[in-house]
Amino acid sequence: MPRSKTALLQGTLDLIVLQLLQAEPTNGYDLTLRIQATSKDVLNVNAGSLYPALYRLEERGLIRAEWESTEKGRRAKVYSLTAGGRKHLADERETWQRFSGALAAILRTT
Amino acid sequence: MRSLVRRDAVERDMNDEMRLHLERAVERLVERGLSPADARAEARREFGNVGYIQEEARDARGVRWIDEILRDVRYAIRGLRRKPGFALAVITTLALGIGANATMFGIVDRLLFRPPNYLAAPDRSHRIYFARFIDGSERFGQSFQYQRFLDLRRSSTTMEALAAYSARRLAVGSGENSREIRVGAASASLWHLFDARPVIGRFFTVDEDGEPNGARVVVLSFGYWESQYASSHAVLGTTITIGPASYTVIGVAPRGFAGVQLETPDAFIPIGMAAVDDLGSDWTRERATYALNWLELYGRRKPGVTVEGANADLSAALRESYLKQIALDLRAAPIGILKPRVVLGSVLAERGPRRSADARVATWLLGVTGIVLLIACANVGNLLLASALGRRREIAVRVALGVSRGRLIGQLLIESMTLAALGAFAGLVLTQSGGQLLRRVLLPSVDWPNAITDRRIALVATLSAIIAGLLASVTPVVQAMKTDVISALKTGGRDGKKGGTGGRSSLRDALTFVQVTLSVMLLIGAGLFVRSVVNVSHLRLGYDADRMLLVETHLRGVAMDPVQKLALRRALMERAATTRDIESATLVCTVPFYGTCSGGVFVDGVDSTNRLGEFVKQSASPTYFATTGTRLLRGRAFLANDRAGGPLVVVVSDAMARALWPAADALGKCVRVRSATAPCRTVVGIVESERLANMDDDASFVYYVPDAQTTDVEWGDPQRVRLYVRVRGDAAAYTNAIRSGLQSAIPASAYLVVRPMASVLAPVTRSWRLGAWLFAAFGALALILAAIGLYSVVAYSVAQRTHEIGVRIAIGARLGDVTGLVVRDGFRVVVPGVAMGMGVALAGGRWLRPLLFQVSSRDPWVFAAVAAVLIAVALLASWLPAARACRVDPATALRSD
Repeated sequence: MPRSKTALLQGTLDLIVLQLLQAEPTNGYDLTLRIQATSKDVLNVNAGSLYPALYRLEERGLIRAEWESTEKGRRAKVYSLTAGGRKHLADERETWQRFSGALAAILRTT
Repeated sequence: MRSLVRRDAVERDMNDEMRLHLERAVERLVERGLSPADARAEARREFGNVGYIQEEARDARGVRWIDEILRDVRYAIRGLRRKPGFALAVITTLALGIGANATMFGIVDRLLFRPPNYLAAPDRSHRIYFARFIDGSERFGQSFQYQRFLDLRRSSTTMEALAAYSARRLAVGSGENSREIRVGAASASLWHLFDARPVIGRFFTVDEDGEPNGARVVVLSFGYWESQYASSHAVLGTTITIGPASYTVIGVAPRGFAGVQLETPDAFIPIGMAAVDDLGSDWTRERATYALNWLELYGRRKPGVTVEGANADLSAALRESYLKQIALDLRAAPIGILKPRVVLGSVLAERGPRRSADARVATWLLGVTGIVLLIACANVGNLLLASALGRRREIAVRVALGVSRGRLIGQLLIESMTLAALGAFAGLVLTQSGGQLLRRVLLPSVDWPNAITDRRIALVATLSAIIAGLLASVTPVVQAMKTDVISALKTGGRDGKKGGTGGRSSLRDALTFVQVTLSVMLLIGAGLFVRSVVNVSHLRLGYDADRMLLVETHLRGVAMDPVQKLALRRALMERAATTRDIESATLVCTVPFYGTCSGGVFVDGVDSTNRLGEFVKQSASPTYFATTGTRLLRGRAFLANDRAGGPLVVVVSDAMARALWPAADALGKCVRVRSATAPCRTVVGIVESERLANMDDDASFVYYVPDAQTTDVEWGDPQRVRLYVRVRGDAAAYTNAIRSGLQSAIPASAYLVVRPMASVLAPVTRSWRLGAWLFAAFGALALILAAIGLYSVVAYSVAQRTHEIGVRIAIGARLGDVTGLVVRDGFRVVVPGVAMGMGVALAGGRWLRPLLFQVSSRDPWVFAAVAAVLIAVALLASWLPAARACRVDPATALRSD
């Protein structure tokens, strides 16, 4: 059961979502497109992983959601970062830099 | 948390979002060139399992647990429907345990905890007792005189309301049609103790309560109004004959109102009028003196007054009143010796200083039902464990698929809780119907609350259900935690661990061991109580209660002078002599456990007979000893010429003779009755001692005076003439015949009350009978449950070992060996259980001692009998599955999975 795989992805998915929402608030569908585009097709997040992550982040108060009408007259639920979310993002980025730096150092040794 | 509350809105929100996502995905695919249908299929496939996503989403939101619980409950119910036998077994077992518990709690609650209905300020309301020193020790009393009540009411300052109450049985109707009803004679202040409003009409006021100029008004109880008047509003203003006089109905009490006592009276009348009617012309004389103790007092403290403060205040008032009494009656004991004081007790009589054994027995029985519930839980635990073991494969699969153990345990808990809830509901129904029967038998005429709607009983049932559910789920949960997935998948329905040769679960053994221990304890308790009852019934009372009836003439206030009373007594005796069913009759003054005529005796050579004990006087016709069957030990009984004017004679009881004249022969000795200067009565006979006031006491001091030599004032209650009547058979069957036979001898306005002696004595033995019946019933219930438990354990073990048994038979084991194997298996648990149960019973027996009657709490016969019963039951429970095991076809067994 790919439970462990999901667990790892969950932590990084949160980071991805927060980062992209900080750049520009958007809805769930557009977020999947943007992840695909920004990562140059390396990462492909499906709805099954994304929406639970969004709801979890909302429950933790890191993002907020609002229903809006887009230009085409269509309704969409738009997510954006809260102040707490911005702070959390900054912390997570720093943690990730340290982690990836350490990992790189280890991989350089033979 | 907000998500929980706005669940529906949140659900819709989520659905909308998913739908929009899908729409846009479809759009994009269509743009890329797919057909709409293909685009939708593709989009859906990429989206993934919507249901799963929604679940995960809900999970993330934290709404999931409610859904989970509801889903588990539905799943549990579905599972139960597939196994109706199992469900029925579990629910019935739990219903019995919870029902028994709730019923006993209802009884104990009524006796010890629940204040009377409608009582205002229960924490400030009390029943008033007094204490005084008699023979050096302080004794409590609960009956007050009318004058005392008036004195206390006048002098006390700390009580907001002080009420007097007397429960009596009075005749309603006239002549042959009169029946006795329970009447509460109450001062008008009684209504002030309660918050009740009359259903129709009003309650009586202080003006109506004064005497001798009060008003004859009556308030009916709700039950009486319902049954006798069909709840008609026209009853107001009508009259009923109560006792000798006519009373006007002025109101009806609300439903459930019972006054201060446990038993509901049928009607309430002012106490002043009750006194006037009861004693007639004697009332004006009795009223001013302090001779008759007949009232119970109740009161409510003023807010802010402590119990000690009220005690002190009332004690001062009591002393003041007592000093007035001494001024009137020089024979009264000096106040310095008596030291009277007032004690405020609980309104519930069973919690006061004069409590009976009933409450203690009921409390013991509550403990008993708790044990029965534990046994029931053990049984249910066994059943659930067996069911869980049968589902090992299913559970293993689910664990393999990723259900967390926590979730699994949660599911098992939900299952047992669902069963427990159903069991609790069934138990409440059981309490309602079965409990009704029980209460009517044990404590009739009490207004019992409706079990299903009563909050406290429902609460107890719910608590029991929760405890039962938790306890019962311990075993399957422990089993689930130990589940080894791989082996469970491989071996399926069988106990995996020991392959096919074990089949033993120490968990089940432990449960059965506990059941056997508890059953043994209960049965020993039951046996001890049953022996007590048997002892009581075999007691040599000194009279043949089974063949005797007590006849009482109630004169209903008609005043009779001594000559008329003498004529009445003679008429009754003559009528009795000619009535066919009566073998023999005698006039009496004292009736055992009912009313005693006492009288001091003075004997030359003995300083103070009072120090030796209480002397009871009995007035007896010459036929007395033939009627009661009391054995004459020496000398003679009375003869016809022991009459007024003849030589004064007396017959004494054996114990009295030995106490007064230990060294000499009592015959011929001189006894002076009532005063030291009375003329001598010669002792002409010695009889066995009758038990009069205390079942334990076979050394009562009774002396008998010929009825013809008893002066009028010595006959006791002037309104009653009493006879014993002996019949040729069981007394109860002759009640009506005697009543109609003797009716013609009494004045038309009077009426007869005829009761078998057994019913007069019944309240005395009630607590032993209560204990015996209920202990035995619950003990039997426990035994049945334990037997079922044992049977299921052994049967299960046999089922597990089918393979092994098949092998044994195939290689030549005899059927006897197989049976022996199975039975030994069963006994491995039973024998230690019996030993443990006996050990606990031996250790804890001394607490039961005060409730037993002439039985040691370590009675070897009872212990031996219980052990024998358990072993027999265990044999049976083991033998049945063993017999089935023997019929196993070896070939099939070897092939079985």
